[in-house]
Amino acid sequence: MPVFRWRETRSLLPDLEREFERLLEGVGFHVAGRGSGRSFPQLNLLEDADSYVVTAELPGHEAKEIEVTIVSGYLSIRGNRRPPAEAEEESFRRRERFHGPWQRRIQLPDRILEEQLRADYVAGILRVTLPKAPSGQPRQITVNEGP
Amino acid sequence: MSDHEKDTAESGGLIRLTDTASGNSPTESAPGLLFNPPIDIYETEDGLVLYADLPGVTAEDLDLQVQDKKLILFGRVARNQNAELVPIHQEYRTGDFLRSFILSDDVDHERIQARLTNGVLRIELPRAEKSKPRRIEVSPG
Repeated sequence: MPVFRWRETRSLLPDLEREFERLLEGVGFHVAGRGSGRSFPQLNLLEDADSYVVTAELPGHEAKEIEVTIVSGYLSIRGNRRPPAEAEEESFRRRERFHGPWQRRIQLPDRILEEQLRADYVAGILRVTLPKAPSGQPRQITVNEGP
Repeated sequence: MSDHEKDTAESGGLIRLTDTASGNSPTESAPGLLFNPPIDIYETEDGLVLYADLPGVTAEDLDLQVQDKKLILFGRVARNQNAELVPIHQEYRTGDFLRSFILSDDVDHERIQARLTNGVLRIELPRAEKSKPRRIEVSPG
C-alpha cells in the first residue's frame, strides 16, 4: 500500500499552485501538478517488438535500495525513501516530497523471459527491461468424445 | 513584490524564502510540458536546505541561477529517450522542471551551494553572517 504523506501538506498551498498553473497556461504551457495525491512512484509501461519497458520516477534512491521482483505475471518494485538524516521533524518549513516506504505492482501483459530482466537506475529514473518470451507454436488439442 | 509572489516559508526563522509564480525560464523557453517540482525546505543552524525532486535531470541539464534576489532552478529532461517504444500504460509525462524563489537578504548569496544526486537537487542557503546573533560588548560607563 503506497503512503501519500505529501497529499496533506500539499493542500496547504492550493492557491499558489492554482495561480502558478493559471499563469503558465496563459503563456501556452501545458502544466500538470506533480503532487495531486498520486501513487509513488509513477510508472509508465511501454513496448517494442522484443520487450516491455517499465519506467518509474524514483528520485533520491540508491540503486541497491530498489527491489525489483517478478511474481506470477506481476512486476513488483519497492523501496523506502528516507528524509535527510540531519533534518529534524520540527525544522521543516515545507514538505512536498514523498518520504517513506513504497511499493508498486504492475501486471505484465504477456509472458516474459524473467531471467533476462534488466534494471537500470539513472538520474532518479528506474528503467526495467523485460524481454518478451517467444510465443509458442499453436498446439492442436484433441477433444475426446465422452462415453 | 508582485501579486503573484506569496510568502510560503515564514515560520519564524530569520530567512525568508518566497515562492514566485512568475518565474521566467532563464534560458530559452522550450515548448512542451513544464512541471513545478516538489520541494522540501528545512532549517539548520547554518541556514536553510532545499531539496527538489528532478527525476531525469543531470547536472549538465540543470540551470541554477541567482539573479538579484531571485533563485531560479530550471531542469531540462531528454524527451526522445523512449521514442522508439509504444506506450501501453502511462501515469507520468516527461517535461522540464521550473521553480523560482525570492531570497531574503539574510541569505548569503555568495555561499549558496548545490548538488544533484540521483535526480534530487540539494541547495544549501547559508545564513549571512550579519544575521547571526552578535554579542555586543558593553563598556563600563
